[in-house]
Amino acid sequence: MSAPNPSELPYVDTKPQGSADFYYATNATFRFLIGRLGREGWVRYLEELGRGYFSPVNDRWRAGGLPAVARYWRAFFDAEPGARVEVQALSDRVEVRVHECPAIKHLRAGGREIVGEFCQHCYHLGTARTEAAGLTMRLHGDNGSCRHTYATAAAVLPPQDMNDIAEARS
Amino acid sequence: MIGCYDFCGHYEWTFGWLERAGGHALVREYWNEAINHDSQRHARDLIRNEGIPGMLKYWGHTLLEESPDLGFNISHREDVFRIDFHDCPSRGFLLRNGLKNYRDYCDHCMGWTGPMLREAGYVIDHEHNHLGQCWWEVRPASGTGGQAAPGAVAGAKDVRLRPDWPKDPALLDRYCKANDPDAKLGGTRKE
Repeated sequence: MSAPNPSELPYVDTKPQGSADFYYATNATFRFLIGRLGREGWVRYLEELGRGYFSPVNDRWRAGGLPAVARYWRAFFDAEPGARVEVQALSDRVEVRVHECPAIKHLRAGGREIVGEFCQHCYHLGTARTEAAGLTMRLHGDNGSCRHTYATAAAVLPPQDMNDIAEARS
Repeated sequence: MIGCYDFCGHYEWTFGWLERAGGHALVREYWNEAINHDSQRHARDLIRNEGIPGMLKYWGHTLLEESPDLGFNISHREDVFRIDFHDCPSRGFLLRNGLKNYRDYCDHCMGWTGPMLREAGYVIDHEHNHLGQCWWEVRPASGTGGQAAPGAVAGAKDVRLRPDWPKDPALLDRYCKANDPDAKLGGTRKE
């Protein structure tokens, strides 16, 4: 683990990493939203979170392009306990290879029932954020390990196949 | 991905979103159902089973993770469990980063711990100043004890002994033998 570079994160804490038990709250929040507002309400929440709360990141991505995207994800996962992630910057895209998702790992370790749609949150949130930044996002997920792609229009990525995002299992 | 490093930021944002989507009732239900009964069920089980020793285990662990530089103090006697926050890690994160999407973030603590402690047979005395300082005293609901005098339980670490603790009660949100986030007494200071 290396300490996150705070200059790359929009909101900065005094400690180098977050508390993994907060993943329980994120999972519970998704369950509550899907139960009360339906899947459409949950997606709307994620999209508005992506455009609103994350707007400082989106602005940096828009201004700094793919190098800013790569720097952000390196700093982001340095601050998440238990993450094993590689970030590769290419000419037309950034590939974030999540070998071990820290959230799925902690939810399993804690014996929590993982919301089936959990992995899809990265796609809905990421798409809202990249659209605001003039970029494109795709996700190929596999229930605890996945690959995020953040790309410019030049990459001409095929449309997202939602079947490529596996359902999370406890 | 939604991370845990800046959890308090998107947690606070979520309160505001929920209130716009479903009103105050939906925020209350979120705190009770999603946080008390789901996310923090380990706390709920521990405290229902063990009482004050369970509170010591739960808050001793979770606050050390959230605030390793010890911006808090835990103290207890046989009939009361007390926490003094001198630098709340959660509210402090919001203040340092200038985040505000909900009218009173501090309400979330009573929002989930109030129902949790009611189910375990306890009531809460509490005051907060919206600036990252607050105190909590938890007693059995069947007991007769009132709020402890400043320093009586926590000694010199009682937050009410700070020179900057408001002398004007109107600057504090206050709860007396409460379990409901809306049972707030007094207080005119807003975040």
